[in-house]
Amino acid sequence: MTIIIQFFVIAIALFVIKTAIGGRTSHAGRASKKIGLVVLAVTMVVAVIFPNLTNDLAHAVGVGRGADLLLYLTVVAFIVYAINNYLHMQDQRQTVIKLARKIAILEAKNKNKLKDT
Amino acid sequence: MNRDTAVIIPVYNEGRVIKGVLKSVLKDFAFVICVDDGSSDNSASEVQSTSALFVRHPFNIGQGAALQTGIEFAKENADIKYFVTFDADGQHRIKDVHTMLSKLRTGKYDIVLGSRFLGVTSNVKRSKRAVLKLAIKFSNLMSGLDLSDAHNGLRAFNRHVADTVNITMPDYAHASEILETIAEKKYRYTEVPVAIEYSKYSLSKGQNTINAINIGFDVVLRRLTK
Repeated sequence: MTIIIQFFVIAIALFVIKTAIGGRTSHAGRASKKIGLVVLAVTMVVAVIFPNLTNDLAHAVGVGRGADLLLYLTVVAFIVYAINNYLHMQDQRQTVIKLARKIAILEAKNKNKLKDT
Repeated sequence: MNRDTAVIIPVYNEGRVIKGVLKSVLKDFAFVICVDDGSSDNSASEVQSTSALFVRHPFNIGQGAALQTGIEFAKENADIKYFVTFDADGQHRIKDVHTMLSKLRTGKYDIVLGSRFLGVTSNVKRSKRAVLKLAIKFSNLMSGLDLSDAHNGLRAFNRHVADTVNITMPDYAHASEILETIAEKKYRYTEVPVAIEYSKYSLSKGQNTINAINIGFDVVLRRLTK
């Protein structure tokens, strides 16, 4: 029984990571990230006030302790963050490269024009 | 003298050899485009002392980006029908470029790739050879092409390819990206055996074998995020 539930939890985690990568530019993708952040914050507050609640939840999904469950959630959140950050930086790099290329080509064209005259 | 072909040479800190390489290429080709990728040595002045066209990145970006810049610059000249990418360190032979161009001129292919493993290669280190073989397997798996060499800097292609290719991987992963584009855009491709003259100099400039991991990571991630 536990193994089946664990399988689902892992599948959900992978699904979350995949959607986070795929929909990073869409409105829905960005919105879901914000919702995720709020949910995480609320979960944390609730977990602090009612420590037993996380334990119960952890047992329900086949994880040993509530603290473990929170740790797993944090790991998933971190992976999503890291990959997102990496991709975002790649996007920005592309913008900078395009700009640099424009400058390089403009400069070269100008120089050749000067040579001709 | 060849006037319908642009030879694109990305240059990054090749001041010691670039002039000699350019001189020999300029003997056969009128349009040689040197893309200086923000060199910090005397590459720029060495290139400018020849009749090669000079395009300079404001800072170092990477070989892939330099190639794309060269292609975009060459495209603006309407006389150019064919495009050749050529390494700056003198490891390619002009003779091979002519063979590739004659293949291209038959009109049967959009892109002709140089292959080290169809021809005779002098002094490839065994460890490098093993990594390259593995890279080819991985590359063929990812791109769905059937090639004998994955990362050869010598390529010749027509305007259709120049108009449709878009190299976005700034570093060495661009080679895999080009292969993926060949598969995706269904270019007609073929390989030609080329000899690589690995000199002490070109070996010292070549990419580190461990970099294969970086390239592999980027290739997989790009596939996932498409």
